[in-house]
Amino acid sequence: MMPLPKPLQEIFQPPPTPGILGVFQYLDATLDAIKELRAGGHTDFTVYSPIPRHEIEDALGQPVSPVRMFTLSGGIAGCAIGAWLTLWMSYDWPIVLGGKPVGSVPPYVVIMFEMTILFGALSTILGILFNAAFAARRLGTIQYDPRFTNDRFGIFVPADARKSAAVEKLLRDAGAEEVRRG
Amino acid sequence: MSNSVDRRRFLKVLGVTGAGAAAVSACGIGPEPTERLIPYLIQPEDQIPGTATYYATTCRECAAGCGVRVRVREGRAVKLEGNPDSPINRGRLCARGQAALQGLYNPDRVAHPMVRNASGVFEDIDWDGAIQRLTAKVREAQGKGIVFLTGAEQSSFGDLVDEWMRQVGGRHLSYEPFGFEALRAGNRMAFGTGTLPTYDFANAKYILSFGADFLDTWLSPVEFQNGFSRAHAFDAGRPASMSKFVYVAPRLSLTGMNADQWIAARPGTEGMLALALAQVIVTQHLARLPTPPDASRLSALLVGYAPRAVAATIGIDEAMIVRLAREFASSGGGLAVAGGMATQSPNAAQIVAAVNILNYAAGAVGTLVKFGADLAIGSTNTFADLTALMSEMAAGRVALLFVHGANPAHSVPGAFQQALGKVAYKVSFSSYLDETAAACDLILPDHHPLEQWGDSRPRAGVTALQQPVVQPVFDTRPTGDVILKLSGKTGTFQDYLQNKWRARHATNFDQYWMDGLSKGGIYIEAPARTVRLAPTASGIRATAPVDSTGDEQTVVAFPHPILHDGRGANKPWLQELPDPVSKIAWHSWVEVHPDTAAKWGLATGDFLLLKSSFGAQKFPAWITRSVRPDVLAVPTGQGHTAYGRYAKDRSANAFELLGAQPNDYGGRSFTVRASATKTGEHRKIVTTEAGPRELGLGTTEVLPLARAKALHRGDHPFHYEETPEYAKDAVEWWGERQHEKASLGNYRGEHPRWGLAIDLAKCTGCGACVTACYAENNIATVGEELMQRGREMAWLRLERYWRTAEDGGPQGAVNQPMLCQQCGNAPCEPVCPVYAAYHTPDGLNAQVYNRCVGTRYCSNNCPYKVRFFNWHNYAERDGQYDAFPDPLSMLLNPDVTVREKGVMEKCTFCVQRIRGAQNQARLENRNVRDGDILTACQQTCPSDAIVFGDLNDRNSRVFELAGNPRGYHVLAGLNTKPAITYLARVVAQASPSRG
Amino acid sequence: MAEQQSPPSRLTYDYVTRTIARTLGSPSRGYFVLLGAAVALLTIGITTLVLLIRYGLGLAGYSHPVYWAVYITCFVFWVGIAHSGTLISAILFLFRSGWRTAVYRTAEAMTVFAVMTAGLFPLIHIGRQWYFYWLIPYPNERGLWPNFKSPLIWDEFAIGTYFTVSTVFLIMGLIPDIAAVRDLATGWRKKLYQLCSVGWRGTNEEWRHFTRGYLYLAALATPLVLSVHSVVSWDFAMAIVPGWHATLFAPYFVAGAIYSGCGMVITLLTPIRKLFGLEELITVKHFENLAKLCLLTGSIVSFSYVTENFVAWFSGNPHERAAFWYRAFGPYWWASWTMNICNGLLPWLLWSKKVRTNITALFVISIFVNIGMWFERYVIIVVSLAGEPYTTWTNAVYNPTWADWGIMAGSFGWFFMWFLLFVKNFPAVSISEVKEVLAPPRSKISRVHA
Repeated sequence: MMPLPKPLQEIFQPPPTPGILGVFQYLDATLDAIKELRAGGHTDFTVYSPIPRHEIEDALGQPVSPVRMFTLSGGIAGCAIGAWLTLWMSYDWPIVLGGKPVGSVPPYVVIMFEMTILFGALSTILGILFNAAFAARRLGTIQYDPRFTNDRFGIFVPADARKSAAVEKLLRDAGAEEVRRG
Repeated sequence: MSNSVDRRRFLKVLGVTGAGAAAVSACGIGPEPTERLIPYLIQPEDQIPGTATYYATTCRECAAGCGVRVRVREGRAVKLEGNPDSPINRGRLCARGQAALQGLYNPDRVAHPMVRNASGVFEDIDWDGAIQRLTAKVREAQGKGIVFLTGAEQSSFGDLVDEWMRQVGGRHLSYEPFGFEALRAGNRMAFGTGTLPTYDFANAKYILSFGADFLDTWLSPVEFQNGFSRAHAFDAGRPASMSKFVYVAPRLSLTGMNADQWIAARPGTEGMLALALAQVIVTQHLARLPTPPDASRLSALLVGYAPRAVAATIGIDEAMIVRLAREFASSGGGLAVAGGMATQSPNAAQIVAAVNILNYAAGAVGTLVKFGADLAIGSTNTFADLTALMSEMAAGRVALLFVHGANPAHSVPGAFQQALGKVAYKVSFSSYLDETAAACDLILPDHHPLEQWGDSRPRAGVTALQQPVVQPVFDTRPTGDVILKLSGKTGTFQDYLQNKWRARHATNFDQYWMDGLSKGGIYIEAPARTVRLAPTASGIRATAPVDSTGDEQTVVAFPHPILHDGRGANKPWLQELPDPVSKIAWHSWVEVHPDTAAKWGLATGDFLLLKSSFGAQKFPAWITRSVRPDVLAVPTGQGHTAYGRYAKDRSANAFELLGAQPNDYGGRSFTVRASATKTGEHRKIVTTEAGPRELGLGTTEVLPLARAKALHRGDHPFHYEETPEYAKDAVEWWGERQHEKASLGNYRGEHPRWGLAIDLAKCTGCGACVTACYAENNIATVGEELMQRGREMAWLRLERYWRTAEDGGPQGAVNQPMLCQQCGNAPCEPVCPVYAAYHTPDGLNAQVYNRCVGTRYCSNNCPYKVRFFNWHNYAERDGQYDAFPDPLSMLLNPDVTVREKGVMEKCTFCVQRIRGAQNQARLENRNVRDGDILTACQQTCPSDAIVFGDLNDRNSRVFELAGNPRGYHVLAGLNTKPAITYLARVVAQASPSRG
Repeated sequence: MAEQQSPPSRLTYDYVTRTIARTLGSPSRGYFVLLGAAVALLTIGITTLVLLIRYGLGLAGYSHPVYWAVYITCFVFWVGIAHSGTLISAILFLFRSGWRTAVYRTAEAMTVFAVMTAGLFPLIHIGRQWYFYWLIPYPNERGLWPNFKSPLIWDEFAIGTYFTVSTVFLIMGLIPDIAAVRDLATGWRKKLYQLCSVGWRGTNEEWRHFTRGYLYLAALATPLVLSVHSVVSWDFAMAIVPGWHATLFAPYFVAGAIYSGCGMVITLLTPIRKLFGLEELITVKHFENLAKLCLLTGSIVSFSYVTENFVAWFSGNPHERAAFWYRAFGPYWWASWTMNICNGLLPWLLWSKKVRTNITALFVISIFVNIGMWFERYVIIVVSLAGEPYTTWTNAVYNPTWADWGIMAGSFGWFFMWFLLFVKNFPAVSISEVKEVLAPPRSKISRVHA
């Protein structure tokens, strides 16, 4: 990976984490490995996959992503801002149009709605980026293989010298076509 | 920025505006040249910067001699308004009068004297040189024939010309293309006097016009229109009544449109009809007969005109004639007038005489037809005199010809041009390079009437004074001064004029003079003169014209109601003002009846080549039922070969078709026989009338007289409900809620609600208001090409809806002025994204030009379609569509923004006048009174159809009119709450068809 | 998600990746010809715009009272085009319909660029283009804010939101694919993709947040897409012009939008599929489904036509009646009948499976759908104004000029330029989502085969 400027370097490329990387050709093999690992008390391992597979999610049994909170709060904020924008701006310099009230809510609902969507969507994106970024930060710099975005699955298990042998064996038995140490 | 700089810049600005006119007069070019700034160090005492000064003077656009007040701002004339003191126009003014300003600041005026050099082209010459040269010419021409040709000049200037001509042994000839020879001849026959009486339309109870277009071109249009609207309007301050108006002519003119009934009698038989009516009146003793001798003479000459005998020849049935006669006589104030269309056939004099007989029999002569207060135009020379002159010229018996205020080379194209060629030396005093001037050897440009002293006597008892209101725009000189110099007299024409006046009124002259200046003239009641039936009267015969065979058509050339004989053609306002009948602008046309058109396979816009024995011209056809099937009608006024950028090479000249021979009564015949052939060419007619659809979907209302009389306050005689019963509560509740929620900030508290009332029963559709609006609000004229693409900017337009009779032909028309309705719930306002269109606290539907970004949504949402968009920059100097080329820009109203390209504009009830009046009231520490504010359209309206005021003021005129049972709001069903109340048109028919 | 039980052996993850990545290979001459044409059109448009700004909108064919015409027609047309994209990517996503995966990326890209195009017209068509920013609520020396009651401001917000959301939605979906491409690419492209893929590696954490977020984005985009064209329709429905003032407009416009959108998707997919040899990923089945969407929405549109006219008659309102009579038999009869035939009758051809499964036929029909929908807007806008029956005195017949066509041509150039650049530089078919509908490689299955 190309080097990044100072603060980004810290965030995106933390110091390397020692561990074992197993590359899998088959999904079911990957799932077996995951089950084994969890049985073996491993919790903080990482699974690579070219596509999101619900089997993997089930196998990992992860909690629901907190992104939805971002969406909700963003939406509410947007709606509020929309209401404030329209009403305050109308009364800031009251001008009568077509004999209608200066601040008339029905037409402003449109603005409020659009703002809800806008802010909701943007905060969702932020949610995704933040969560993914922080996850990556927690994991530190771990081994990766370009094939993971193509047709290979992978599991990286952080392990120090003592555990690594056991982990390596476990992965091989599960059906990893290749195991790397790093 | 320091104060001193501020002050200097301030003075600079004043210098620009104030001394501008002075500056240009010196260097003779466009508006303020910046290198000659003259600050107001010593301020002229009659000039307060930013405040208008009004000068009383006289309109010289036609011979009627209306009084005008000129609004002058910082040395420029920016607006003409009628002079209320003048007994002729009573403060009103027509479109042509309004446009006089564009004559003054016309970009194509002759800026300085010019002489034709050896190689035949004009070159500049200085005044002294020119006058020396001319003096020599006069000397050598003496005895060889000197003629001074002017327009109708009953004025001190005319007297001066007479004197000078006597001095140099020449003669003075006056010429009006549309003289009234027939009228004079007819009067001579009937009453033995060749003068033109004045007509009291205001007190007529029944008006019968034999082709006399007294609302547009006949004698004194503004005066007559004002009188007519008083007589013909419904409940115009009199016991609810309305004098019926019947129009007899082969074609509906502006005047005809306003008739309650149109009788398209066979051209030339009008006299017969008149005599038949008289016959009925006399034989049935419907009117108090004059003294026995007259009575016997009358009945003698009326023998043989019994309706039964003549009905067939005239082409209308006997019963109708008898009915007309009864109505006419029983109205107890019948007035018959003849002119225009009816007086163009060879037997015109006979017709007029016959109409005189009718008036005499009905006892109108002396009461409504007033001899004594004779019209000056009656004393201009006849067409015969002109033709005589032409033959002299052709024979080379005229060595020196002066032309002033006349353009015979346009109105008598072929013959006069040729004759002119034979004249040794020709001098023109024209301010414009018109056809005649272009053919002259020396041009000594006269001041514009607004730049010089003068007077005129439009009719006995009225002496209208004319004073300079602005510094001369160009290096021109008053012709009066020039003549005085040539005749070796001292002093200026102003002195001459004052001496003339002193001679009339020596005692306490200064007082007299100041009166004249401030009132715009001296007005006294002329002693009435009683006329009796002349012995010659018994010789009056009304004969039907012989039906000429062959496929030739009767072609009638009628004076254009706006361009008249063509003198208006160089003024963009008038060119852009659609003809009231055809709604065609910028070009001429030929009116063809649908049946005729069908016969020839003619569509509107197809060119028709008219070939008379005198000339041939091509006109695009306008297919209409407002003309008889056996008649083709063409307007004069267009087809100039010179006369400036706006007039030159525009369409065809109708005069080309006419002959140059006087007929037996010394007049000119404006009807010719001509062959009509379809050329195959086609053009898009430039008209404001809409496209392909059935018109008038319920914007005009018409009531029969009986119904209107029966109305009481609170009645609602119309077919629609302003608010349907079931919706009333909802709408009211809703309205209240809305308005209390809206009463905030500036909108809290009491405000006026400006409103307008327009009486369709008075509006004649003459178009004066439109031009006044152009003048007041700096509206750009867009020209022929853009107008054809539907881009005219007229904030106020006149919609003309035909009233169709049972037979499908038009009975007349309802004219509806359509302008911004200043809606209470304006649809245009809420859709504007930037608040450019908004509601002012005093109920105006304002348009902030500088705020507008030009989304044009407001116009889309305006059901009245009275918003107009600046598609180009019409104020761009030398731009393709420059509407104000120098010095035309000098008449721009400083109180109104000149709009940029890309912004929407519209009527705001002359908001600048409203604010002006409010400021004035504030200065005088009082409230604005009803009548303080006159919108430009209201001020000029000759028929007083428009009333402006505060709808919240229970004592205002507009409030009273808004409550009139005839009142209705256009498209009220949309709940737009318009501020304009239209009062329904009232017609004398029992069952009027809705417009 | 629907899986194909016995996938053709060639359709492996690897095959998918490489096939799609191949579309990013060095462009053919044909590609450059198309791009050149697009840029040429764009140049025409820009030239016209410069002239418009210098000499005023008068260069276009406007005539009182037709104050909106071809420009607004194009605006609505492009906004409409923009709709199928989000529909396919968001709504069908929520409905879990697997067939969208192969086509949604194209549709979505189309959406973004169509909105970009549409957004230009309000700026071009106003009289003083240089003051367009007065419509934006920013603190200014005039102390004046925009008028939020004006449907044009609603437009601004709706279109703005729609553009932003559909863009982020597109980018979001792209990230895993860019990552995939990144891992194959070399040279400057690799650097570019590294940047765009924001370090995506396909870890379980990333997928967890991504899939959730994507779901919510879809959930937000769905009401948005419905709102946007409703708001656009209110530009007209809020006015009192007969022919505009109808409560029917919102659903009517949305249906029309999706109809035209699907038409445009077919128009675009057909050549791309050929050009990039994606026959196996974008199958006839996909086209047939799109055709079905056209049929559905097309029928809704035709129904709206009928309703409009019925209501005009049934209301008994003389103005309404006059307006619709004018529309059908006035001087613009040809426009309204083009619209009726292309949108009212043509979709009925799609009842036949033969037509639905015949790519050529679909392509031709889709072209007519686009024409028909353009004319629908032309009829609604121009004809209603030209024949407004309130004060018939001002009725006028409007004829477009070169300036109208110039800007319209420019808009097509602008749109296709962006679209062509996109398909060459980013995966025009979603790599990861296409894989999702394939059977994942399983050791057990493979053993059976072995």
